[in-house]
Amino acid sequence: MLKKVLLGSVAALAMTSALSAPARAEVSFMYAEWIAALVEPGIEAFEAETGETVNAIKLPGQGYDQRIALDLSAGTAADVNLMDSFMVSELASAGYLHPLDELLAGWDQFQYYMPGLLEVASYQGQVYALPTDTDVRMLWYDLSNFEKAGIPTPWEPKTWDDVLDAAQKLKDAGVRYPFQLPAGTKQAEAATMQGVYMALLGADVPEGDRNRLLNRETGQWIGDSPALRRTFDLFHQVYVERELNTAELNYATDIGAAVRAALAADELGILASGSWEDACLWDCNNPPSREERDATVAWTPWPGSGVEGAKTTTNISGGWTIGINANAADKDMAFKLITSIFDEGNFKAWTLANHRMAVRTDISESPEYTADPFLAEATKLAADTTGRDTVPGYQTVSALIQQATADILDGVPPDEVVQEYHDALVDEFGEENVVTYE
Amino acid sequence: MKNQANPWLTSNLWVLGLGMLPAILLIGILLYFTAWAFAFSFTDLALVGRKSVEWSWVGLENFERLFTRRGFLESLWTTVIFVFFSAIVGQSVLGFLLAAALRGSRSMLRSVVEVCIMLGWLLPDIVAAFLWSATTAQTGLINQLIITPLGLPPVNFINDYALPVVTIANIWKGTAWSYLLFSAALDSVSREVVEAAKVDGATPLQRIWLVQLPIIRPHIATNMLFITIWTFTYFPLIFAMTGGGPGRQTETLAVFLYNQSFARGNLGFGSAISVAMLAIVGFLSLFYLRLLREPK
Repeated sequence: MLKKVLLGSVAALAMTSALSAPARAEVSFMYAEWIAALVEPGIEAFEAETGETVNAIKLPGQGYDQRIALDLSAGTAADVNLMDSFMVSELASAGYLHPLDELLAGWDQFQYYMPGLLEVASYQGQVYALPTDTDVRMLWYDLSNFEKAGIPTPWEPKTWDDVLDAAQKLKDAGVRYPFQLPAGTKQAEAATMQGVYMALLGADVPEGDRNRLLNRETGQWIGDSPALRRTFDLFHQVYVERELNTAELNYATDIGAAVRAALAADELGILASGSWEDACLWDCNNPPSREERDATVAWTPWPGSGVEGAKTTTNISGGWTIGINANAADKDMAFKLITSIFDEGNFKAWTLANHRMAVRTDISESPEYTADPFLAEATKLAADTTGRDTVPGYQTVSALIQQATADILDGVPPDEVVQEYHDALVDEFGEENVVTYE
Repeated sequence: MKNQANPWLTSNLWVLGLGMLPAILLIGILLYFTAWAFAFSFTDLALVGRKSVEWSWVGLENFERLFTRRGFLESLWTTVIFVFFSAIVGQSVLGFLLAAALRGSRSMLRSVVEVCIMLGWLLPDIVAAFLWSATTAQTGLINQLIITPLGLPPVNFINDYALPVVTIANIWKGTAWSYLLFSAALDSVSREVVEAAKVDGATPLQRIWLVQLPIIRPHIATNMLFITIWTFTYFPLIFAMTGGGPGRQTETLAVFLYNQSFARGNLGFGSAISVAMLAIVGFLSLFYLRLLREPK
């Protein structure tokens, strides 16, 4: 008798829990705070049109990459997610993202996306996410501090030595952060892209990918090369040998806010960053006026190292994307949200207001876009750009590069740092996938 | 051998099994996570990418790397310094001194001090981290109030003295626990014993050292056990304040574990670090548990 009662109650419990499960979840969407001006009007339009509610999860930019990787791998991620483009192939290779090709075929605005930019968000021939923008990288500088240091503007450095000399003058003039070169693990991807890769590309001849992290032909990671040594030595000179910057901003509690505060207080000399600074000078969602910005800062392309045969200016592009979780309950609804965000009216307004580099021809060829003086200049830089080595494994390599720059900040000699980096690559990918250049 | 008190319970194996279920579940869940970390410390499991689904066994490789690669030993040393100065010396000693000094006083002062100590404890770690960074930065309160008025050039404490700053921040944050525990412990020392010592001519210092401390010895050991374990694995305050930097100066084992697992994405190596941490904390706990025993 007791057994029956017990079994009965277990069965009843199981049934009630099954019945009380929600019929269908709303669409959830995770994004970083800096892109609110693009996605929030899109969410509103989506809700008005479909009557569905969007569970919007807005997060700070700090630590966002780790969060999205962890959420997707743990199966707790939102249905729709904003992510850095470098993560797409890796996340797709693990089966965390839903391929979009079928859904995209039914969307009339898809034809305008530039194929080269879709490639970054693809894996094995399938598109897994749609890009929000792309970017170029450059050296920004504070005009008033350059005047104080007696450096003529517009500033046009030709080699790394010119940059270091300018930083030295800024330091002598009492500028607190003469050359803010992103470094260290807390800077995350910024240390790799704005710091190491921009220097690396100009550190040696491009032949055989001697100026990269990956030999793209053989698929081997480069564990030691003259370019890597020169790049790490540049960091060593800036942070240790000549003390042209302190490590401070790289480890601020909120790095983005600290850099912006330093800019506003005229404490920055040179800032290695990217085209988004044009809008993000004070706050990404409230771009300054053209006059205000031009009176405060200017920019110049990153020069090469000056080594014979190396590039004279360098550039690498990244960008962000929005994709669908492979476990999303209703993929059509999730895709509908994406198309609401990327609908021409909304997407174009944001791209123009924030001076973002367009990823679609219907926007990039519009008269308003071509008339924007900043975008016209930035697009010239984009003529000679390259992308990250967005093959699976990149995220790990990037983290190792960040660790290497952190060790340089600690005063570890560049030779040891290269050795440590090489050994860690071998640990991760095996001897046969790591190559050394003399 | 039937249990005479509950013949009905032992006569039916099904009922017995059902009754044991909650306990088995609880123990199972507790063991599950540890076993998971232990098992994956022998693999090359990654956070994302192919190796997150097609991982393989790599034997003791991850454990070898703890000693052959830069990071683990440095972080262990940083952690030992952090635990020793912020928990054992800072929180414990300060907590005890406050408890001893305020003992028996019923004045306003005691209430005020207690509230102040508790505030640090109650404040969320992230808020505390922002407060401490703002206070110790080059333009922060300490420079504005002390360094600059003295005519000295401002010092960027959080950059130049990162480890001492996070240590002091953690003392501020965690002293409340030790204070409360020692307060309660000292209250349990009976007044007669202390007064008898007084009559026998013991000085105040001798009364503390020879009478009160031996009586509350088990409490001291319990307190040490707790604060050592949680300071050893403490993460949010340091991570938010410095992210382990500058360089690796404040990279404690918890921050190192996070960076290796979630930035580098190597969960296998991360698991090996956590197993090593478990072993170290386990060893320390055994040491304290021995202290807890009454001397024969």
